[in-house]
Amino acid sequence: MIEKLNLENISLAVGIIVILIGLWGLLTQKNLIKIVIGFALFDTGIHIVMVSIGYIKGRTAPILDSAVDVNNASQIVVDPIPQALVLTAIVIGLGITALMLSYVLKMYQKRKSLEINNYKDLKW
Amino acid sequence: MEFSIKNIGYALLTIFIVLNYGLILQGIIRKIGARVGRRYGIRWYQPYIDIIKNYAKRSTITHGVMFYIAPVFRLSGGIGLLLFMPVIFGSEIFSNFSFAGDLVLVLYFQFFGILGMALGAAESGHPYSAIGVSRGLSQVTSFELPLTLGVIAIAMQYQTLNITEIVAAQQGGFLNWTVITNPFAAAAMLIAFLGAMGRSPFDVVLAPQEIPIGPPTEFHSGLLGVLQLNRAIFPVAKLILFMNLLFGGATNWFELIVKTFFIYMWSVFVGVVYPRFRVDQSVRWFLTVPLIIGIIAIILIRF
Amino acid sequence: MVGPIYIIAIALGTAFFLGFFKKANRTFSFGLMLLAMAFMTFISAQWLYAFLTQNQETVQIFTAGFKPPFSISLQMGFHESIFLTIINVLGLFSAIYLFGHLRDKGVNMMMVFVVLFMGLNVVVMTRDLFNLFVFLEISTIAIIGLILLEKKEDAISSGFKYLIASGIISGLLLIGIIAVYYYSESLFINDIIASKLMYVKGGTIATFLILIALVLELKPFPANGWALDVYESAHPGVGAIVSSASATAGIFILFKLLPAFSDSAYYIIAVIGTLTFVGSNLLGIKQNKATRLLGYSSIGQIGLVMAVIGLTPYLGDKTMFIAFGLLLTHILAKAGLFWLAGIVKSKNIRDWAVIRRNPHLLVLMGTFVFALIGFPPFPSFFAKWELIMQLANSSGMVWLAFILLGSFIEGIYMFRWFGYAVKGENKDLPEFKIHWNKILPAILFAIGLYAFGYYSSTLTGIAGKFNYLPLLFIVFLYAIDFLPVYIKNTISIAGVGYYLYTIYPGLEEYRLVFGLIFLAGGMLTLLAGYAYKGKRQGFYPLTIMMFAGLLGLIEAKTTLEFFFAWELMTAGSYFLIIRGKKSMPHALSYILFSVGGAYLILAGFALAHIDQNTFSLDILSNVQYYAPVIFTLLAVGFMTKTASIGLHIWLPGAHAEAESDVSPMVSAILLKAGVFGLIILMLHMGFQSFGNVDIYYILAWIGAITAVMGNMMAAFQEDAKRLLAYSSIGFLGYTVFGLALMSHLGWLAAISLSVIHFMFKTLLFLAIGGVVWRVKTKEMYKMGGLIKKMPFTFISVLMGIIVISGVPPLTGFGGKWILYNAVLDKGWFFPAAAVFFAGIIAFLYCFRLIHTIFLGQLKDEHREVKEAPFWMLVPQYIILGVIMLFSALPNSLLKPIGEILLPYFPDGALEWQGQLAISAFGYWNGKLIMFIVVGIFVTVFAWLWYMNRNAQKVKQFNIGYSAERPSLPETTHFAYNFFAPYKKVLGFLVTPVISNFWDDVSEGIHAVADKIRRIYDGNAQNYALHIIMFVVVFYLIAFGGFYGI
Repeated sequence: MIEKLNLENISLAVGIIVILIGLWGLLTQKNLIKIVIGFALFDTGIHIVMVSIGYIKGRTAPILDSAVDVNNASQIVVDPIPQALVLTAIVIGLGITALMLSYVLKMYQKRKSLEINNYKDLKW
Repeated sequence: MEFSIKNIGYALLTIFIVLNYGLILQGIIRKIGARVGRRYGIRWYQPYIDIIKNYAKRSTITHGVMFYIAPVFRLSGGIGLLLFMPVIFGSEIFSNFSFAGDLVLVLYFQFFGILGMALGAAESGHPYSAIGVSRGLSQVTSFELPLTLGVIAIAMQYQTLNITEIVAAQQGGFLNWTVITNPFAAAAMLIAFLGAMGRSPFDVVLAPQEIPIGPPTEFHSGLLGVLQLNRAIFPVAKLILFMNLLFGGATNWFELIVKTFFIYMWSVFVGVVYPRFRVDQSVRWFLTVPLIIGIIAIILIRF
Repeated sequence: MVGPIYIIAIALGTAFFLGFFKKANRTFSFGLMLLAMAFMTFISAQWLYAFLTQNQETVQIFTAGFKPPFSISLQMGFHESIFLTIINVLGLFSAIYLFGHLRDKGVNMMMVFVVLFMGLNVVVMTRDLFNLFVFLEISTIAIIGLILLEKKEDAISSGFKYLIASGIISGLLLIGIIAVYYYSESLFINDIIASKLMYVKGGTIATFLILIALVLELKPFPANGWALDVYESAHPGVGAIVSSASATAGIFILFKLLPAFSDSAYYIIAVIGTLTFVGSNLLGIKQNKATRLLGYSSIGQIGLVMAVIGLTPYLGDKTMFIAFGLLLTHILAKAGLFWLAGIVKSKNIRDWAVIRRNPHLLVLMGTFVFALIGFPPFPSFFAKWELIMQLANSSGMVWLAFILLGSFIEGIYMFRWFGYAVKGENKDLPEFKIHWNKILPAILFAIGLYAFGYYSSTLTGIAGKFNYLPLLFIVFLYAIDFLPVYIKNTISIAGVGYYLYTIYPGLEEYRLVFGLIFLAGGMLTLLAGYAYKGKRQGFYPLTIMMFAGLLGLIEAKTTLEFFFAWELMTAGSYFLIIRGKKSMPHALSYILFSVGGAYLILAGFALAHIDQNTFSLDILSNVQYYAPVIFTLLAVGFMTKTASIGLHIWLPGAHAEAESDVSPMVSAILLKAGVFGLIILMLHMGFQSFGNVDIYYILAWIGAITAVMGNMMAAFQEDAKRLLAYSSIGFLGYTVFGLALMSHLGWLAAISLSVIHFMFKTLLFLAIGGVVWRVKTKEMYKMGGLIKKMPFTFISVLMGIIVISGVPPLTGFGGKWILYNAVLDKGWFFPAAAVFFAGIIAFLYCFRLIHTIFLGQLKDEHREVKEAPFWMLVPQYIILGVIMLFSALPNSLLKPIGEILLPYFPDGALEWQGQLAISAFGYWNGKLIMFIVVGIFVTVFAWLWYMNRNAQKVKQFNIGYSAERPSLPETTHFAYNFFAPYKKVLGFLVTPVISNFWDDVSEGIHAVADKIRRIYDGNAQNYALHIIMFVVVFYLIAFGGFYGI
């Protein structure tokens, strides 16, 4: 049991917990800003999961500098692709969060309310 | 058989005999009815007098073309019905035009006169006429159903729609008559016959006291005279039809007169015993008892 | 050839450069953007052209100088080129459509627009999973940006909902991608497919996540509330893009990644797709906001395409044809409808009546609606046909049933909407303006639908057999619609006549009989059209459409042609019916029954087609499986047209409310299409039974009950045209009964009755139509005494009712006589008794018809009424002549029909001696009867005339009326509730049980739909919850047994 408590599993678990917290916030909070925060958490959790999946025990960051020799880089660094993906995903997540916030702003300007239940005119 | 000029002569002869028989029958029946009701009644030749009187009237009015030709329709219907049947079995002379069509023709030709009369009466614009027609048609539709069942049963029994053949199959004693061999069909048809004759309890169509004689209300003088001719011929034609289908037909005029007289008496008896039905009552009645009898007739013939 | 990479380059470059033009002329910026879109379209179209014509091979484009998996690669293949072309064409026209809005909003919006289409292009082309994700996100963000084109609060909140939903979906996708990468160690789609992840432990979940995320992108029912809100509130131009372009890209992703999933993924996709198709359409039927309605329909249609992809194992190599047919129709029609919504600007579908101010817009809308439902000649028709055929062939009966059900439900709300547009009240509605840039794309897309429809027809395998000549004639009539009636009428009659002349020699047997009824009958009824003044806009193309369909039925050699013609006829007749003043609800029920019936026919043909390589109608003769089921499906389908009991409720309203000369077309002619179908069916399939139950016996009872009920209801009508309509129902009951007898005489009766019914019903509907034309009411009790005003019409009606009632000597009697003989021959006495009973009931309505209109008391307001228009009388008297001919010489009608039937029913034929017909039971000489009756009549008349020639004509009220002189025709004319006592006894038979039943069904469906759609409560969080629950449910279903190896 103990040996499973390594870094990658812990980060995976943390990631999943963050995802769930984010989802919980997304689904239960009534304040638009809090919902956006919930989404941001959800997104972050996913990023943590991604990183943890790419992690290989005992290896270093995939940055080619003095600490990493180019010739045997593939043996000593973790898989770089998930990390690259995470970077991209963070950017996209940022974009979406920003867009969400700007929508919240617009909504607030129109109706002076941050309560999500006040935005149910469209239905059925 | 082909049509020839002779047929016209024979037809006229048949019409003449039946017309006189019908008029006398009319008088006699009314006389009997009166006597049953402890009245003296009319003279037996009163119908002749009525006809002559009507034709002799000098004032005549018309409400329009349909009104004028309605009696023509009516009488043509009666005469046609008579002529499309073999009147005397085995007699070429009195088979008239029965070679033009079979039982189905006769059944449907009945309506020729009814429809024409209804139209003419309606043109008079008299509400009683229209009411009478409404009642008449309602009643006709309802007794037609048991009648149809009976006719189908008989046609199946004899495997033909040819009236002459149906009569032929009933020869050789009264035990061969349809009324004996196929009692349910006969019963259904005889009940329908009551409706067809339009006597009490099914006389609400003319309903003399209520809607002064219904459809013919506006007819008078010569127009009424033509209708009266039909009233002599049409019932006899119907009697002959039922006699042919149910009672073995007739091989001579005497037999015909005897048989039709008694068939007529069936409706007369019922008529003096029962008071008038309302239309909805008679429709309901025709669609219950006789209908069930008709269905039994079909089931019996089928299985 | 320009490389596909330039699509991205141009889009990116344009978006970038546009930034420099913020201050410049916005029209110029827009021009630049349009140029970019045009060039993108050009590139993709060029590739498509190359693939189609030059054996172009699929091209891989590697970026950054590495091969995958170390770089992102794009692929340009045949399918990619098609999808790209579709998307870019849509983008180009969307841009044109949105010209004003983009210009007003400025450069930023144009940038977003270009980026959106760049995103969609890359999504289609990319072979890298992560790249796919990125560009999917980019296009989502861009769409959400475009939603801001509409400044309304609703649009903004819907955009927020969209963001939340797509955030969750992309989260799922992201987890799925990383998991896939973890197991397959590559993001290159080809590698992923090759690694067979399904067989790797854990890979199953990875692929499931991707699958479910991709499916969620397609807005499956019920996790799609956010999309509906967007469709409703976004600018219709944006709605068109979401519905068409993004959905197209979404479908392609699913298609692209399919090989990476296990075979059971097909099943899941099929289930979700079908569920979406049926569910979304079901909820749509309660909808009354046009754009949201389109949203429901969009989701449903994409669900259908999804289902088709999922059903690939059933459909085999036809999948692509079907999917493309459906998708293309959806794209063109849905974009077109959204665009129209943007032009008309009416939110509520009831207010769409305003579209009628420009009839051409109505034509466009009709094109789009009928294309969506799958009418010919649109691609969806052929696609649906193939879909159903293939499903039946590979035993996908349940799928088949659900897909037809979904299509039917979609028809309900689409046609209701269209009905409002055609017939709703449009007086007080606001004006709308048509800008060229908004209408042009819609026009082009409508033309595209026709063009692709034609193209699809050439791909069906029996290409070239379709007869497009009548369709061209329709187009021609549409083009000359501005001409006055008499010119168009002449051209139409000439056209029908010419066509009849050309095909006449090729017609044989019963096809000849019905060909004459359809075409000669059509010419005859068209004659009455001369009575109309003005232009009668739209009438002629639609009429000819119906006749083209009828003609197609006659000419059809294959089931496909038959179905094509059937649908064409349905569409044409629907348009004709809906032209009536108060026809909207009746036309709706007509089209719904017709579409429902057509789907049964389609299903029947499909089942019959199992294990047979040909589509010839002869497949019905050697059906391999399910023969009784096929028979029942087809028979019920055809009986929706003959309006047999249970399926008749559309008819009275539809026929009664139609225009004076349309009533005879749809009553006397159109109903015969059902009879024709039944004849073909019975001839091919012969006797059928379910176990011991003879289907024909049931049919006989259906016919008999139809006859009784139809006639009974006719007898109690106050509305003259309704009376005639019910009379048609009853008469068609005789016909069905006759056919069910399956004997020579039964069929002789049925076919001759069809001919006779055509004649007298045309006669009566034209005559009554003429009366209604003059007195401006259909209520019979408001008329009366018109014989003196309209004697010629009276004679028509008189002859007509004598024929109906079957009284000798007219030709109606022949039918009765044959029927009697047929019954005695067959022995089905109880239904037969009902039929004869019905025949007698006919007297009731016949008399009522003629009495209450023509006899009795003339009303004061009708004292100046003129005879019916001359051109209404002309066809009536032509028919009268033919009726007299057939009455006097019955063998001129019956003998040829008998000879036609001889090969099929050699036993029990009539023997003819001159005009004397002899059957096994009786005999009948029509000519002789005619002479005798006329002879007696003339003699008696002469006698009466001799006795009574001085009759004096009196005035109207000169009647002996209880010693009073009535003065009010209203109180003297005994007409209203004419058969009151009869109704008292038998009225219970005409309680509208069946109408109530259908009303209840309809209400039930609407209630269910209304209940279910409450889940879309407008709360973004609930929508998010739906998505999560959707994933959980399908996870459970999938891992509960379906998904996996």
